[in-house]
Amino acid sequence: MNHRGGWALIQNTWQSWLQHRGFFFLLAFGWMLPLLVYMLVWSAAAGDGSLGGFSQETLAGYYLMLILANQLTYPITNWTVGDNIRMGQINRWLIQPMSPLYHALSAEIAGKVVFMLFSIPVTGILALILQPEFDFSIVQVLLFLPALLLAWVLRFFWGYWLALLAFWATRADSLLALQDSFIFLLGGHVAPLHLLPDWLQPIARLLPFRYMSAFPVEILTGQLTSQETILGFIALIIWSITAIVLYRFVWRRGVRYYEAVGG
Amino acid sequence: MNKPIIQVHNLTKTYRVPERPPGLSASVRSLFKPQYRDVEAVREISFEVEPGEMVGLIGPNGAGKTTTLKMLSGLLYPTSGHATVAGFTPWERQTDYLRRISMVMGNRSAMNWDIPPLDSFRVLSQIYRVPERSYQRILDALIELLDMEALLKKPVRNLSLGERMKCELVAGLLYQPDILFLDEPTLGLDVAMQRRIRQFLKSYNAEHAVSVILTSHYMADVTALCPRVMLIHHGQLIYDGTLQSLAEKLAPFKLIKLQLSAQVAGFQEFFQQFPSVELLPMEDGHHCLRVARSQVAKVTAQLLSQLPIADLSVEDPPIEAVIDQIYEEGNV
Repeated sequence: MNHRGGWALIQNTWQSWLQHRGFFFLLAFGWMLPLLVYMLVWSAAAGDGSLGGFSQETLAGYYLMLILANQLTYPITNWTVGDNIRMGQINRWLIQPMSPLYHALSAEIAGKVVFMLFSIPVTGILALILQPEFDFSIVQVLLFLPALLLAWVLRFFWGYWLALLAFWATRADSLLALQDSFIFLLGGHVAPLHLLPDWLQPIARLLPFRYMSAFPVEILTGQLTSQETILGFIALIIWSITAIVLYRFVWRRGVRYYEAVGG
Repeated sequence: MNKPIIQVHNLTKTYRVPERPPGLSASVRSLFKPQYRDVEAVREISFEVEPGEMVGLIGPNGAGKTTTLKMLSGLLYPTSGHATVAGFTPWERQTDYLRRISMVMGNRSAMNWDIPPLDSFRVLSQIYRVPERSYQRILDALIELLDMEALLKKPVRNLSLGERMKCELVAGLLYQPDILFLDEPTLGLDVAMQRRIRQFLKSYNAEHAVSVILTSHYMADVTALCPRVMLIHHGQLIYDGTLQSLAEKLAPFKLIKLQLSAQVAGFQEFFQQFPSVELLPMEDGHHCLRVARSQVAKVTAQLLSQLPIADLSVEDPPIEAVIDQIYEEGNV
């Protein structure tokens, strides 16, 4: 492992992304919009009463936290992996004495900082307007943080192994769009999991998409019993390990294939 | 005699290329039953390079030059044959190997385009673990040699092609590699910048005894830098030796250019006495003669004694013409 090189790369990528902060701020804004729209839809449906246990204020709390969790876990770099393979940029990385994974990780970490420069103030302002109801206990916060970190690990490596299929197929990034759709439908975005139809809820709990952004927010907003929390963590850990194993498998096979066919 | 730093034996690379006839029905058929054709990009090439040697790898487009460099840098796995570079097998891509080689490509960038070169250099020095004490010294020396102090604080995207190439060279040499693979380092540069880059490579090689394999389509690069050339055509190494003897082998004649101080009646007929001399069209008021190498001394002496000569020169045919002949004919 070459952490020294990796750290230098993170600093550089961060500087380089700050050059384009306008672009990234717009992206972040774009990611926020659908979630805001669904928050307003469900708030209207809840009216002054409650909808499946959610009031307007708890819906606002859930969605504002989800906006942040979504942006913190969104693996934007996966979208450029395919291009880097197709355009041969990966040649450079392969002959550097450092794992090419560092290039993706550095962009991830740098990106999070840039997005948060935008998202934290904006959600702060929205919170002032929407008056959400938060009820955090210290235990919830302590469970939320590792869940969020693992959610990022899962979402990043899941997208990364899909993106690496670009070694064989030229347009593998359509799979990333599919992943986003699944997260949107089954990952607590279009509606909190509790508001999904009864038959769909167990499926959503089984698949990895819920664990990529909604699960940490469900912990934080107190929607889960301790048993649900433990089961959720088990699923999250199993899916994260699966994603890392898949990444390593696809990466090795992909590089071997790349070495055979040439970039 | 030093041990060769690069040893290549029967290196072969065959690509499997998907192939289909044009048309919709063919494209549907190829979905279910893809057809492939084997393309031999490099065929059983063998050579050695001594430490500190500069070798030019030349050949027409698609000859296998870049494939060869990619195998030596570790990017491609060969179909058969083996290679040892600095004691390592390149395609194992061991960290210690990667620290000792550098590949500079004229058409690819190692730099981050959004930030000034100095920042990219700093990251590369960390990736290659250049000790902090030597980093500044190495960087200063390279910057001075390339005369690029003024470029260091501008974002790379605002630099010209030639300025960027200077940065690529610094990026490739910062960690003082022992072996340098240069793929078309002067691609697209103007004549003055090409000369600067050549001068730099020459003095860098003299100072650091780095071993270099260089590919280029500009013969001026090769003549200026590489005493030895390897000519590759259709994946095969068809010549390995000095540029001079390649020219002699291929163009067994020289050009004599002369200017007369007075008109000579029957000038054309005069040359009938020399069967080995061919009279070429005039160039800039000079008569041009093509003369077999073995006859040059004799013919020149007779010309000087029998004609009113104002000016006479004996030249090698331009190397481009020689190379063009090989590319066309495909053999030496």
